Amino acid sequence: MPAYRLPVALALGAALALGACATRPDPTDPEAVAEFEANNDPIEPLNRAMYIVNDGLDTLILRPAAEAYRIFLPPEVRTAIRNVLANLRSPIILVNDVLQGETQRAGTTAGRFLLNTTLGIGGIFDVAKDFGLLGHTEDFGQTLAVWGFPEGPYLFVPVLGPSNPRDLSGAAMGLASDPFSWLSGGELIETVTISRGALGAVDTREGLIEPLDALREGSLDPYAALRSAYRQRRANEISNQSLESPAARGTGFGAGTGIEGPRR
Amino acid sequence: MTSTPRRLLLVAAAAVATGLPLRGGMAQQVDIGRATAFIQQTGEQLVGAINAAGQSVAQRRERVAEILRRAVDVEGVGRFILGRWWRQATPEQQQEYLKLFEQVLIHNLSSRFGEYQGVRFTLGRTQARTEEDALVNTVVERPGNPAFGLDWRVAEIGGQPKVVDVIAEGTSLRLTTRSEYSSVITRNGGQVAALLQAMRNQIQQMAARAGG
Repeated sequence: MPAYRLPVALALGAALALGACATRPDPTDPEAVAEFEANNDPIEPLNRAMYIVNDGLDTLILRPAAEAYRIFLPPEVRTAIRNVLANLRSPIILVNDVLQGETQRAGTTAGRFLLNTTLGIGGIFDVAKDFGLLGHTEDFGQTLAVWGFPEGPYLFVPVLGPSNPRDLSGAAMGLASDPFSWLSGGELIETVTISRGALGAVDTREGLIEPLDALREGSLDPYAALRSAYRQRRANEISNQSLESPAARGTGFGAGTGIEGPRR
Repeated sequence: MTSTPRRLLLVAAAAVATGLPLRGGMAQQVDIGRATAFIQQTGEQLVGAINAAGQSVAQRRERVAEILRRAVDVEGVGRFILGRWWRQATPEQQQEYLKLFEQVLIHNLSSRFGEYQGVRFTLGRTQARTEEDALVNTVVERPGNPAFGLDWRVAEIGGQPKVVDVIAEGTSLRLTTRSEYSSVITRNGGQVAALLQAMRNQIQQMAARAGG
């Protein structure tokens, strides 16, 4: 988990230290002001710098790792890994279903967890799907939104990707309340926890190879496009309107690119 | 917390201010049945073109592009995306922008759809969104990939149903691109010419990639 915390702390620290602020538009131009407010990106210069840092890290480390993962592991194995990771997230999804008062969705999540853990052999196979129990995601960021907390200014965090204070808080709450992260002590458990984090990162990035490539190649301003897409995607997830949002991870790229979800 | 509703209002006001006058007089009330039938038909044509056997990638893409040019209200989408900058552009810039935009949009969409080999789609429900447009939900399935929701916003333009937005998993092409283009212009001192230059470069790169 330190792999997640460090960039967050760095970004927040840098934001406070630099106080880099976006230039406000001419107050007599209501459309420009409306757009500025809608972008809600007061520390845009710093966010853009973090975006460039992320781009470098991604080109050097994350994308190659995701490519290697795709090349060396057959699709069946990657699907199994994705299913196991999704199953491990079920308790958090269940908690958030309940916190949002979504009893039916909570029932679905509980049923999926029981079926997939037992018949699906530890979550390797998504058998619940064949029983008509389709997966969905929830996270504390969405719950905070349902409870009426404002999202706050846009933040771009290296490695984690697009976010905002509400989703970052949600991500921290998710880590803290994950029952699988309470296990501690043995070296084995440490290793399993770290592997799970690393696998989750590689798995997410693997599913985003095409969408992020398309964004880099096809966009005149990938930073601005990603900012807009992230907001829309999160709003959509919060509203629980779509059939499923396979990529949601609470914050970051997984929830943000919008173009297509990774393979299940 | 009071700032959020106000901000939403501002955004809505901006959307209305920039969106309505542009399509004024052209858009009429949309019939839900017609919109659904139109997407069903267009979707079938697209799927047929994407899955056509014995054709090269380039041929398939050209066919997809042809269908999209007919189905999408390219001019309306282009104007919506340029938004508040449309009025600041000279008539020549407006003309050039629309030409460049058509190339970029059709290329981006057809290369995206062109990759969807073995694609199937199913129609979901259709709802009226505003007086003028309807949202047709479809679910897109590809072998080995999770199904995802693709929604089509349809309006009557000049007596014909046309696609005015494509929304993938809640992310609107129109809104995302508007954000992107406006950012390019704002960061270049409010010059529409800067966007046109960037689009020209982009088209050159696209051509180079297709050729190489």
